[in-house]
Amino acid sequence: MAYSAEISRVSPTAFVFLIDQSTSMYDAVGDGKRKQDVVADALNRLLYELAVKCAKEEGVRDYFHVAVVGYGATVGSAFSGELAGRGLTPLSEIADKPARVEARAKKVPDGAGGLVEESVQFPVWLDPVAHGGTPMCRALAHAESLVAGWVEKYPGSFPPIVLNLTDGESTDGDPAPAAAKIRAQATADGAALLFNLHVSSSDAAPVVFPDDDAGLPNAYARALFEMSSLLPDHMRGYAASQGFRVTEATRGFVFNADIASVVQFLDIGTRAAELR
Amino acid sequence: MPLHVSVFADHKAGASPHECEDVAVVSAVDEAEAPVRLALADGASESMLASMWARRLAEHFAQACGSSLASGVAFATAAARAASGWPRLLADYQADRVRDGRPIAWYERDGLAKGAFATVLAVQLHGPAEPGEPGVWLAAALGDTCVFQVRDERLVTAFPLADAAEFGTSPSLAHSNESNWELVARRCRVHQGHWRPHDDFYLCTDALAAWFLREAAADRRPWEALRDLGTDALAEFPEWVAERRADGMRNDDTTLVRVTTW
Repeated sequence: MAYSAEISRVSPTAFVFLIDQSTSMYDAVGDGKRKQDVVADALNRLLYELAVKCAKEEGVRDYFHVAVVGYGATVGSAFSGELAGRGLTPLSEIADKPARVEARAKKVPDGAGGLVEESVQFPVWLDPVAHGGTPMCRALAHAESLVAGWVEKYPGSFPPIVLNLTDGESTDGDPAPAAAKIRAQATADGAALLFNLHVSSSDAAPVVFPDDDAGLPNAYARALFEMSSLLPDHMRGYAASQGFRVTEATRGFVFNADIASVVQFLDIGTRAAELR
Repeated sequence: MPLHVSVFADHKAGASPHECEDVAVVSAVDEAEAPVRLALADGASESMLASMWARRLAEHFAQACGSSLASGVAFATAAARAASGWPRLLADYQADRVRDGRPIAWYERDGLAKGAFATVLAVQLHGPAEPGEPGVWLAAALGDTCVFQVRDERLVTAFPLADAAEFGTSPSLAHSNESNWELVARRCRVHQGHWRPHDDFYLCTDALAAWFLREAAADRRPWEALRDLGTDALAEFPEWVAERRADGMRNDDTTLVRVTTW
């Protein structure tokens, strides 16, 4: 059965995040926060939670290798600090080398029914960027080269997953062929997966994990839907447990995402069945 | 007491031996009048400090008196006493890490605050009042670590699970930071039975226990191979486990406590 390979330290899997850093990402999402901040915050949070999930006494276990590629004025690694320029990086290195660690106040129960403020360490890997066009074809080609290198090195692994977060149309051509090349890469456990999320400035309701394009408002949305892989079984099961209506035709795709659906997209799209 | 206890353990393939999160503790085998106390705990791999908590539970129950296994409430109360020592163990661990030049990292804090989880199985065998009479045995469990009693080439008791289909779902676990031991008491299982000379007992963590029940259901007498372990008749335990994993046994820390009686 496809998409059932064990994820372990000897057979890890890979996540490649593509983040749109075009000028329009400076605009606000429907609920007020800037799109650039929504995406950067959500990715920082995801990296935090992945590290915590994989943490054991001897350190963070490298069940995952992660790349974050920004595309806007340039296309390349969105990591900064010690990880600047890095492509697919083991999670333990990501955990040990955030760009900076901020002290943030967090309210925690005081044991007497109230809340007290506590200072907690909050690692930051990605800063919001919004500058330039939307060279999505180049970004997808960059992702494809990372995926191709991965499947050569780990031919039996759980297939790599590319998650593309964008707020608009590509400015360097039709991205469908580049998207198809990613999905054509494969390990023995199945084809590489490409999930797409469109984050919106409009107040229109999000379309989350649809199984057909009937409810999509325009040709651009339908094109992104076509570019998106089906959710594998265990992700479908997890999405269902989170309250989403899913079928075997459900795709890893969100249109007009708000803050909550950005978080849900990342949560479901990186859900691993079991870490061995 | 006319019995012999052997412990066999192998770590998950792909992990290191020191990362094994199963802990077996055996006590009082050499004392003529004392019951034999066995405890087997399996730390949840998603937890921080799972093996430390499994050790805490196993050592605690290998010293516990028989009344701790008499009911779910008694077992949960004993587990709560084990948990009451956890904050001190955690503080000592954190101090040791500082002394070793490796203080707790930001990504460990959430896991340490959440606490550790493990299954635990405690078994006690009491000697017969008179030679030739049956003895009494008690068991209590939280989770899917199992004990199997075999007599005359038949599986006579499987506790707490009796069907391989019951594995794989999230078992009830003992939590170092538990706040509702009354609820835990309702999830504990207890058993009391009799044993006779030449009965064998096999305490198994979940991967081995599931294999055992599948084999028993297919009339393939899984105890025959386990009985031969440690003799010239069979490969060493890690080799035997590797063969079973190649045949489909789940890749996990695998521990067997075998009790042979006469």
